[in-house]
Amino acid sequence: MNEPASLWLLLVQFAQMSLVICLAPLLTGLVRKVKARLQRRRGPPLLQPYRDLRRLMLKQVVLAENASWLFRVVPYLMLSITWVAAALVPTFATGLMFNWTGDLIAIAGLLGAARFAQALAALDIGTSFGGIGSSREVMFASLAEPATMMIILCVALVAGSTQLSTIADHMANGAVGLRVSLALALIALIIVALAENARIPVDNPATHLELTMVHEAMVLEYSGRHLAMIDLAAFLKLLLYLSLIGCIFFPFGIAQAGAGPEYYLIGLAFYVMKLMLGGVLLGVFEMSIAKLRVFRVPNFLGAGFMLGLLGVLLLYVSRGM
Amino acid sequence: MAYWANGLPAGAALALTAALFHVFNHSVFKSLLFFGSGAVLTATGERDMEHLGGLIHRMPKTAFAFLVGCAAISALPPLNGFVSEWLTFQAIVLNPDLPQWGLKIAIPADGALLALSAALAAACFVKAFGVCFLGRPRSTQAASAREVDYFSLAPMFILAAICLLAGVLPGVVVDSLEPVTTSILGGRMPTQLGDRWLSLVPMSAGRSSYNGLLVFLFITASTLIVVFLVHRFASNAIRRSAAWDCGFPDPRPETQYTAESFAQPIRRVFGSVVFRTREVVDMPLPGDMRPARITRFARDVAWDGLYIPVAAAVGAMADWMNVLQFLTIRQYLAFVFIALVALLTALALWQ
Repeated sequence: MNEPASLWLLLVQFAQMSLVICLAPLLTGLVRKVKARLQRRRGPPLLQPYRDLRRLMLKQVVLAENASWLFRVVPYLMLSITWVAAALVPTFATGLMFNWTGDLIAIAGLLGAARFAQALAALDIGTSFGGIGSSREVMFASLAEPATMMIILCVALVAGSTQLSTIADHMANGAVGLRVSLALALIALIIVALAENARIPVDNPATHLELTMVHEAMVLEYSGRHLAMIDLAAFLKLLLYLSLIGCIFFPFGIAQAGAGPEYYLIGLAFYVMKLMLGGVLLGVFEMSIAKLRVFRVPNFLGAGFMLGLLGVLLLYVSRGM
Repeated sequence: MAYWANGLPAGAALALTAALFHVFNHSVFKSLLFFGSGAVLTATGERDMEHLGGLIHRMPKTAFAFLVGCAAISALPPLNGFVSEWLTFQAIVLNPDLPQWGLKIAIPADGALLALSAALAAACFVKAFGVCFLGRPRSTQAASAREVDYFSLAPMFILAAICLLAGVLPGVVVDSLEPVTTSILGGRMPTQLGDRWLSLVPMSAGRSSYNGLLVFLFITASTLIVVFLVHRFASNAIRRSAAWDCGFPDPRPETQYTAESFAQPIRRVFGSVVFRTREVVDMPLPGDMRPARITRFARDVAWDGLYIPVAAAVGAMADWMNVLQFLTIRQYLAFVFIALVALLTALALWQ
């Protein structure tokens, strides 16, 4: 690799890192707007999440008396780990400088690390809401992780790699065609994404003071800049899952390694369009479904796991023939 | 082993290395966690988690080392537990190369179980760390615990450092396991050191790679960026106040989640199948002053299905043999004679 090329790749990598963090609040704003419009409300402006973040950043932190250092360190860790994970997913281009740093499994691991930190911080103050959120979160995680692994296995078997860049290139080249297994894996990934992002059938992102809340219960004791960082990490996580779905299953227009700058611009336009479509679909889906009881969630996630497993088995059957 | 039997030395070496790496990791972080539990025991004299809590304030150094161990055993990057889990998954992804159908189906199920056990380990250690070290103290011993001495702390910190180093530089460990895989299988994984940026590449770069060092550097760098930006542009003011808890904070430590209540959702989801858990709620009628009770019954399938039949068989055999205890001396002599003849006949037939 010669010098200017690697410099260029580094630049693109940094562009992607700043892109994901700048776009993430906008995506959440879009989802909220779509939901509000479907309820015939005008809804907050698209830029409201940015304003909320700014307001929280400038506010004083109110810290519980018995909060330990862990409680104060976790928001920084959560944001940075989620950011790294989001930067590893190819958004508008594949073959970036650091794409080979970690594969799909590493991304799942990083998100697991952020969740671990958050579940611990929720227990730090010793309030009952923190406990309820943390205990339910680890229960969901124990169901979502096997499902994630099945999806990864299914995709890796089709593409012959767990490296996201390679997978996206493989899928974009059209050699795969339509496969039932991939459709099953897509549905499974959507189920996992809804659970991981605390979206409606599993958790309600818009509520407080409800006995069924999970994510909001864990962050109940946070305020000020700490809360802003946790919110931003949640926005990033939503963006990450949408980018993941986009780059594995719908990699149209993604710029491949060694492409010229004009392809990067096209990739960027496609990426933004995919995000917008995903955000609108998410809003419509959330409006058309009711929240599940907590102990119905295992069935929902179990369905995700079964779909993933079916996808893998179908692959074997279709190859064996 | 399956890979080896089917003439896939690269896959076999990968699987064996993953297994050995896993054993190495367990020897490190399990020791660390036992040292930590020992420190807690010394400091508080308590073994029961339900009497601990809030130790992070009293024993910050032990808490930190224990936290590293918890994160490592829960297979979180960039620590060592994640690397061996990652290598095992890479071995699992190779499984379509196998010709046998049974194995093809069994190995993905294996992967799912591995993911499940990693997630349950994370749940377990969130519970262990959360209940022992976080929250408010649940007993006076926990409230008055003292940090252990440096001789107790040093091994914990050394082991925690090994956890981090083996996670950040997994290539060193993988290469040092190479003589073992070569002598057992005759195959080996590609040499890891010397690769660009010390990346871990089990098969080929296009297939999969993981770079613990870069992940660690990335996390450090982005944390520093976040810390810098937040402290540069955000408010730094902090006010200490009572916990919020949706407006109803109860200062009694009994209102916290305990280990028992933390595990309840998982018990309800998995326990009903695996352990046949049942919960019986005894709720007194209005006006009745009895306390309400919740009782939990669990059955261990391994205990019921494996140990109890064996124990029952041994017991029945003992009952049956018991007759022999009350024979006359002539009958015993006859037994000895018959046994000798039988042994000698057996020996003669054997030769």
